[in-house]
Amino acid sequence: MKFKADEIASVIQKEIEDFRGQIQTAEVGRVIEVGDGIARCTGLSNVMSGEMLEFPSGTRGFAFNLEENSVGVVILGDYLKIAEGDEVRATGKLLSVPVGEALLGRMVDPLGNPLDGKGPVMTSESRPVEWLAAGVAERQPVKEPLQTGIKAIDAMTPVGRGQRELIIGDRKTGKTSIAVDTILNQKDTGVICVYVACGQRASSIAGVVEVLRANGALDYTIVVAATSSDPASLQYVAPYAGAAMAEYFMYQGKHTLIVYDDLSKQAVAYRQLSLLMRRPPGREAFPGDVFYCHSRLLERAVKLNKELGGGSMTALPIIETLEGEVSAYIPTNVISITDGQIYLEPDLFWKGIRPAINVGVSVSRVGGNAQTKAMKKIAGSLRLDLAAFRELEAFAQLGTELDKDTQAQLDRGYRMVELLKQRQFAPLHVADQVVAIYAGTKGYFDKVPVAKVAETEALLHEFIRTEHADMRDKLVAEAALTDEIEGKLKKALEAFVARLASKS
Amino acid sequence: MTEMRLKTRPDSVLEDPGALAVAGLYARSYLSAAQSAGIARPQDEMNAFVDEVLGRHVQFAEIIDSSFISRADKMAMVDRVVAPQFSEFFTNFIRVLIRHGRIELVSAIRNVMVRAQEEASGQKRVRIRSARSLSEESRRLLTEQLKNKLGFEPILQESVDESLIGGLIIQVGDSVYDSSLRSRLKTLSGRLVEKALNEIQSGRDRFSHPERD
Repeated sequence: MKFKADEIASVIQKEIEDFRGQIQTAEVGRVIEVGDGIARCTGLSNVMSGEMLEFPSGTRGFAFNLEENSVGVVILGDYLKIAEGDEVRATGKLLSVPVGEALLGRMVDPLGNPLDGKGPVMTSESRPVEWLAAGVAERQPVKEPLQTGIKAIDAMTPVGRGQRELIIGDRKTGKTSIAVDTILNQKDTGVICVYVACGQRASSIAGVVEVLRANGALDYTIVVAATSSDPASLQYVAPYAGAAMAEYFMYQGKHTLIVYDDLSKQAVAYRQLSLLMRRPPGREAFPGDVFYCHSRLLERAVKLNKELGGGSMTALPIIETLEGEVSAYIPTNVISITDGQIYLEPDLFWKGIRPAINVGVSVSRVGGNAQTKAMKKIAGSLRLDLAAFRELEAFAQLGTELDKDTQAQLDRGYRMVELLKQRQFAPLHVADQVVAIYAGTKGYFDKVPVAKVAETEALLHEFIRTEHADMRDKLVAEAALTDEIEGKLKKALEAFVARLASKS
Repeated sequence: MTEMRLKTRPDSVLEDPGALAVAGLYARSYLSAAQSAGIARPQDEMNAFVDEVLGRHVQFAEIIDSSFISRADKMAMVDRVVAPQFSEFFTNFIRVLIRHGRIELVSAIRNVMVRAQEEASGQKRVRIRSARSLSEESRRLLTEQLKNKLGFEPILQESVDESLIGGLIIQVGDSVYDSSLRSRLKTLSGRLVEKALNEIQSGRDRFSHPERD
């Protein structure tokens, strides 16, 4: 590419000649108090709640408290550059973020500024951060499945497109892993993903981004990052900004998935802002509207009706509990807002059952509507069987002599638990899940030693892919376990078992 | 003792808005009480008290404002100092302020009162910031224009700020009309940078997506 200095000079000259400086009119006020990421200002008599304001240093903020004599402003950025007496300008716009295709594959802060060193985000479109969720008439029931690629979830707590499924658990129980696996599994499905990191360590965000990049998932993912070192204001805004970015695609009729990692930290950031703004504290010192803070965010996850394009936004909020305390304020709030929860337990995690999902407590209120026919058929009794197994297991620990049937039930239970374990970052296609779970529930794994179940499962997937690809393709295409496919599957599994027996 | 008190606040810093609101309340009450008492120019005594008494005798102002001196002592002082010189009406107003512990607001009350009266007579203050001091001619033109556009008699409060480079910034109440060269250059540079970024990005796309060309 040749560099023409004259050309550039003439372009700039033309630009300057065409420039008509218009008189700028603005509403202004003055800072009377600043500190801890907030400012109090006088003036600004016509400012709107949530309106974006600009300080002389270029730092932005938004009107949070409108009081009789002053306006409480939340500063989005460096508040140390703002001094008492500075002029504040109202911009006449609500706080908004850039949206569009240009954001895909990028890591941005909650205001849409790039953080990944890949240059500016080139988009002319923007969307307000706060947006009213679609109303009842604009929605349709959740009925399409969103495959997470995790056997235990897709079989027992299925997630539908437009659903809000909470991932809850103590620290280090694999909450983020489930969300990341789900994002990885959206490859080639056309689902656009947004990962909102709120109050996370910068190192763990970098880790997540690296996993996404290495697995080719960054191409359809936007990462919105507010680390623990960012001001509370940015941590508070991050989930809404992420939702706005996803909504842009949703209203174009596309399917989106958004992960809020995690909302307990956002609630803490909101508590900090509210207390600094002298809003009265309530339970656990959270402000009275912390429920609304989460409910209005999660209501934005929706399956739109056909007239609006039928797009969807599936939300996977994450909540971190302390010592399994789900009855704390924020966990109960979010549990009551969402359409179900995936409950992760440290005990299971340390027993090696990973993902450490507690099957009894985890639910999905959308249920079978969000499953393919094939999965619905085979997973129907899985939950109950596993619950019965857990009871038996506790009983068997007493060392009593068991009759043959009970022992068989126990043995199958052990194998099912083993079969539902899954490696991190290795999501499975729903057809493979169906094959594995079918084989487990119908007893094809009964002869396999418990320790070898995982290994055998991998062999089974390979066997089906290489030798019964037509059956698998059909299962993928029809997504239902018709008599024909089931017959073929049975034959394939019998052949597989026979081969295993001949090898050993 | 006439030495000036050290100025500790910059001009840009406003008084406590809560205190201003209270001062407004007292100012309105004072004016309406004066009206019902049939006093013609209540602001004269107020101005005299603030400028001549408090302004000239800083120590007296300090004593009056001080919270270490009891209200009874302040009352006695008002009886000795204010009562003989001022009308009964004004002295009573000062007594009310002392009894309510609001005497330190007296200058603020005066300011609010002046503004209120200006507004009542169709006048309004307009802050004008310019790069150079205004000539008599431009001042006259400006006043005329403002009067036509805004529909009130402007009271110009001029200040010179060389960093504006050229042009004017006019502030009426909370609204600012900015036609300064500084802001225009800022907008222009923003626009040029944006354009350059677009160029750079499209140039980069040419390398990463060659099929587009």
